[in-house]
Amino acid sequence: MTIAEIEEYLAPMRGEYADPRSLILPALRYAQGHVGWLPAESMAAVAEATGFSQAYVESVASFYDRLYLDETGRYCINVCVTLSCMLRGSDELFGHIADYLGLDGEGTTADGMFTLAKVQCIGACDRAPCLQVDSGMQLGPLEAADATCLIDDLRAEPAPARYDR
Amino acid sequence: MPELNAVYRHREFGDHLTTLAAYERAGGYLGLKETLEMPPDDALYAFHRSGLRGRGGAGFPMGRKASFLPKDAGKPTYVVCNADESEPGTFKDREIIEHNPFQLIEGITIASYAVGCERAYIYIRGEYESQARVLDDAIAEARSAGRLGPDALGPGRPFDITVYRGAGAYICGEETALLESLEGKRGQPRLKPPFPAVAGLYGCPTLINNVETLASLPPIMHRGPDWYAAMGNEKSPGTKVFSVSGHVLSPGNFEIVLGETTLRELIYDMAGGLRPGREVKAVWPGGSSVPVIGADSLDVILDYEALNEVGTFLGSGGCIVMDDSGCIVRASWRLAQFYRHESCGKCTPCREGTGWLANILGRMVRGEGRGDEDIRLLESLFGRIEGRSLCPLADGAVMPIQSALELFRDEFERVAREGSPRPVPMTEAPVG
Repeated sequence: MTIAEIEEYLAPMRGEYADPRSLILPALRYAQGHVGWLPAESMAAVAEATGFSQAYVESVASFYDRLYLDETGRYCINVCVTLSCMLRGSDELFGHIADYLGLDGEGTTADGMFTLAKVQCIGACDRAPCLQVDSGMQLGPLEAADATCLIDDLRAEPAPARYDR
Repeated sequence: MPELNAVYRHREFGDHLTTLAAYERAGGYLGLKETLEMPPDDALYAFHRSGLRGRGGAGFPMGRKASFLPKDAGKPTYVVCNADESEPGTFKDREIIEHNPFQLIEGITIASYAVGCERAYIYIRGEYESQARVLDDAIAEARSAGRLGPDALGPGRPFDITVYRGAGAYICGEETALLESLEGKRGQPRLKPPFPAVAGLYGCPTLINNVETLASLPPIMHRGPDWYAAMGNEKSPGTKVFSVSGHVLSPGNFEIVLGETTLRELIYDMAGGLRPGREVKAVWPGGSSVPVIGADSLDVILDYEALNEVGTFLGSGGCIVMDDSGCIVRASWRLAQFYRHESCGKCTPCREGTGWLANILGRMVRGEGRGDEDIRLLESLFGRIEGRSLCPLADGAVMPIQSALELFRDEFERVAREGSPRPVPMTEAPVG
């Protein structure tokens, strides 16, 4: 992820904001799409492209759940565990997925394919229990077998060109 | 049981109004046409006369909020649409964006004309990427048709909308935290006053409204504010979408006329009722941040005032239903975990208090509770959290838990002594 690429991405939006600080979040999201998380080099590139210090950019990034400061797997499996989903079996769904991936709770699989996380309400309580792969469509209601199929399908996919976290 | 699809126009006209042509065939942009024929002040007065109240949770009269913006501030004026829909149990705005995005765009355009705004923003939560793309496409189409752009409000009268994606933070639904985030900062609430109407985005006058509120404006301006005000009752006019979820057989969104439907009708007639042999135990009628009510409140009429009378709030309309298979302490624990996770950390009573709520409820559920000592500890915490922080997140954490303890004290006492085994979750697939 080069500074020039980020600058090129930001160029058409510069006129839309009275303060260039507003470009930091779009720049972080864009940079994250490159490798799926935000290593220090990406933070530095965003800082350079937006004109703010790296420390400031990191302080902004660290506030938001869907900006990842640690390395993630190829896909982030985000299982909603808030109340409506809990009432319809989200804890059992999460447990099944963790077992299937060979994980002891949240974490990343050894092969680097999946990062499994419990997330808060994703606005799809009508589809409870539901999950999101990255920030894709909210999928549900899911039974254990549906989740297994989904993971098998993702495993067969080629690596995405960009990550939509 | 009157259902009326004012913001859910797509339900009356086939399921998707995601092209401009389809939206216009369904009567779209007639509201803006009427609006542009009147002076902006008349449009503001129409908002006021309609009685429309903010649909995001606080219920503040929309017309009054818009009237607080100074007219000659010598600065740009902004309209910001709050599409951060993150309140647990709430998924109504998602459906507007997915199926009827042009009504939102038209509503934002109407509001912007009234307050003299040339650039509006839709702040949408990062988790709604699929929905944000629907908006991107709709805005691009509106722009190419001249509905947005240099002559959107008439020759030489520009107006445009920018979609701004959040990145995962419940607190960014609080309006000043949202503005901070949109300004490229950590999403932490501001001290009020000044209110956003005076010093909002980039220090400029700003009108912030929820998706459903803004999507209500096109029918109000087309059919007239008196038509809207005549629905429901005097203080709670118009329609409201309720999102029903949890232990109901047909979870979903239902747009109803306020003041005419009971909670029982919403749950049993619209949302499919419960599994055979089950009864309602607890309902959080307005999202998770409102006091929980029990089965004895099922006949409450759904409007702002009647829900207040039974000790709760209409809130966002996110109605979470739990039947008698559920454990109220476990549910409260789960909500406490939510607020602990989402507290922005700025105010100590909220940052530390939500953690303590989650810790105490957690050990009670796991069977490691300390009996009456834990109940007393919980009770002593509420007043040390509520009303002691900058924004309502902390109050929203206390209200559902404090009310649960008052309503189900015996169960809390039992769980504090004995713990609570994980109940078997509902696995029935949604009907219909």
